[in-house]
Amino acid sequence: MEDEQSFSDICGGRLALQRRYYSPSCREFCLSCPRLSLRSLTAVTCTVWLAAYGLFTLYENSMILSAAIFITLLGLLGYLHFVKIDQETLLIIDSLGIQMTSSYASGKESTTFIEMGKVKDVVINEAIYMQKVIYYLCILLKDPLEPHGISQVVPVFQSAKPRLDCLIEVYRSCQEILAHQKATSTSP
Amino acid sequence: MAYRGGDGHGQPPSAALSRVSPGSLSTCRTHTHNICMVSDFFYPNMGGVESHIYQLSQCLIERGHKVIIVTHAYGNRKGIRYLTNGLKVYYLPLKVMYNQSTATTLFHSLPLLRYIFVRERVTIIHSHSSFSAMAHDALFHAKTMGLQTVFTDHSLFGFADVSSVLTNKLLTVSLCDTNHIICVSYTSKENTVLRAALNPEIVSVIPNAVDPTDFTPDPFRRHDSIITIVVVSRLVYRKGTDLLSGIIPELCQKYPDLNFIIGGEGPKRIILEEVRERYQLHDRVRLLGALEHKDVRNVLVQGHIFLNTSLTEAFCMAIVEAASCGLQVVSTRVGGIPEVLPENLIILCEPSVKSLCEGLEKAISQLKSGALLAPEDIHNIVKTFYTWRNVAERTEKVYERVAEEAVLPMDKRLDRLISHCGPVTGCIFALLAVFNFLFLVLLRWMTPDSIIDVAIDATGPKSAWTHQHSYSRKGSNNNEMSKTR
Repeated sequence: MEDEQSFSDICGGRLALQRRYYSPSCREFCLSCPRLSLRSLTAVTCTVWLAAYGLFTLYENSMILSAAIFITLLGLLGYLHFVKIDQETLLIIDSLGIQMTSSYASGKESTTFIEMGKVKDVVINEAIYMQKVIYYLCILLKDPLEPHGISQVVPVFQSAKPRLDCLIEVYRSCQEILAHQKATSTSP
Repeated sequence: MAYRGGDGHGQPPSAALSRVSPGSLSTCRTHTHNICMVSDFFYPNMGGVESHIYQLSQCLIERGHKVIIVTHAYGNRKGIRYLTNGLKVYYLPLKVMYNQSTATTLFHSLPLLRYIFVRERVTIIHSHSSFSAMAHDALFHAKTMGLQTVFTDHSLFGFADVSSVLTNKLLTVSLCDTNHIICVSYTSKENTVLRAALNPEIVSVIPNAVDPTDFTPDPFRRHDSIITIVVVSRLVYRKGTDLLSGIIPELCQKYPDLNFIIGGEGPKRIILEEVRERYQLHDRVRLLGALEHKDVRNVLVQGHIFLNTSLTEAFCMAIVEAASCGLQVVSTRVGGIPEVLPENLIILCEPSVKSLCEGLEKAISQLKSGALLAPEDIHNIVKTFYTWRNVAERTEKVYERVAEEAVLPMDKRLDRLISHCGPVTGCIFALLAVFNFLFLVLLRWMTPDSIIDVAIDATGPKSAWTHQHSYSRKGSNNNEMSKTR
């Protein structure tokens, strides 16, 4: 089963949430941002080149122009490869664990896996972020030394930053699976 | 791991871990107010203003209002925390300049404060303490945003020296278009009205309160063979430590069965140590040094007489606490002190060594003849005087009144500023108010109110969290504890 819903992020941008229910104990949430728009790309490139041309008329050194071209190209490559995240996926499998994948615009993927034994809970938290106060979803990890303690807080959907209504959807589904997992692990 | 990796802005996620219940998002309730308390001073800093804000908020929550507190970050304590009954505290990462007060540029705090006011659907801003720059900033922004404003003044000021002239001018500017002002005593009201050139009709008097259950008498803790005088105050000039150093040798000579216990720390401690050294009073004058608030009661119950030598005081909490512990109070007649206790519980003197000694001698002779009331009786009288519930009730009336008033529109506000604060200051601040408004328009264009999430209401018995199972509540408490370690 698969459905898609549209939400917005904390700055008002559009986000699409895809939910795939493979089985009652395995769900996948996929948040995708809009791809890099041609307009913003053109705007940035034009600004850099105009600035370079301005400097060129001032100093009359053609090195500036070639440097500007290289900077734009390298900047674009770096941005696509290291900064711009197109899609963030949260895969939660009862009895196995939680996997978070972020795919960059260049196709690079980075994956983090947390096994279920280490997961204490999934909660929605509030934080002060830049000049905003935002809600975010995070995974609490158990402290191996202390059964009730928390060793780490791992934020989910860090680059998409969806709004609360979207977070609640994901949170509820995660809680269902966690409750299911608890019920099966306590009953022999 | 990905933890905090992409964040990179030096602001770690806050420690308070909130749960979202399936309850609705709406926070609007009829006939109650959404109040935001703003002050630079809040726990973990200790003091009168801090406990005032906390206790008042708790009692307002009990009465069904929604209350949040905004203060600046204290060291590692930043982000959002929850206290008892879901009282939410925002510790904002603003720079502290002097004496726990934030620096003010009048503008830099607008984006965050506006975001908080919008997401919490605040209707009334209640600022505390005239020393707090953040409180004044919040008043300024709230007026720009068209919210109702209330200000509580906790201290008295002079009129003569340069620093007071400057602060008084700033206070005039800050309070001239505030809806309502609360003072802690009639003396403080007079002082504030004169300093800020206010209309006395918009100034109310609501005294501070003490928690009488914290200050109970315990007659078995004191020795009745000797007489003990207790002094608990910061040892600074304002509290009259110099007078105390004159009183101690005089009385110790006259009464061989008299002891002093002095609690508190400060720059004037050296004077007391000198006196003790010169007159060889080491066994009769005990200097305890700085006391924590919870230890104050244990010191108070060891004495028979409480001595207060303050030179200026808006509302003296210390004498109410002492009377609540069943001590006879001897105090100087300054500021709001004569209003605080009825005549049969307090002996008032002029702020001079001679007069204070006479007052103390009167108290000692009464004590010896057994004319004083029993500690338990004094406690029972005092405990009805100042309760936080009563303070909250009276503050609520102020909110009711303020909620019906209209907030000054921009043009009237500018008129008021220019006509009320003098031609130069008035024009400067009118200009700043216009800039502030333009900044707000810019912020509203960048992040419209509609895309700011409404915060989940966690306060009071009707809150979103009370529907949770007891298990999860326990869990989140544990989380909180482990994070604050």
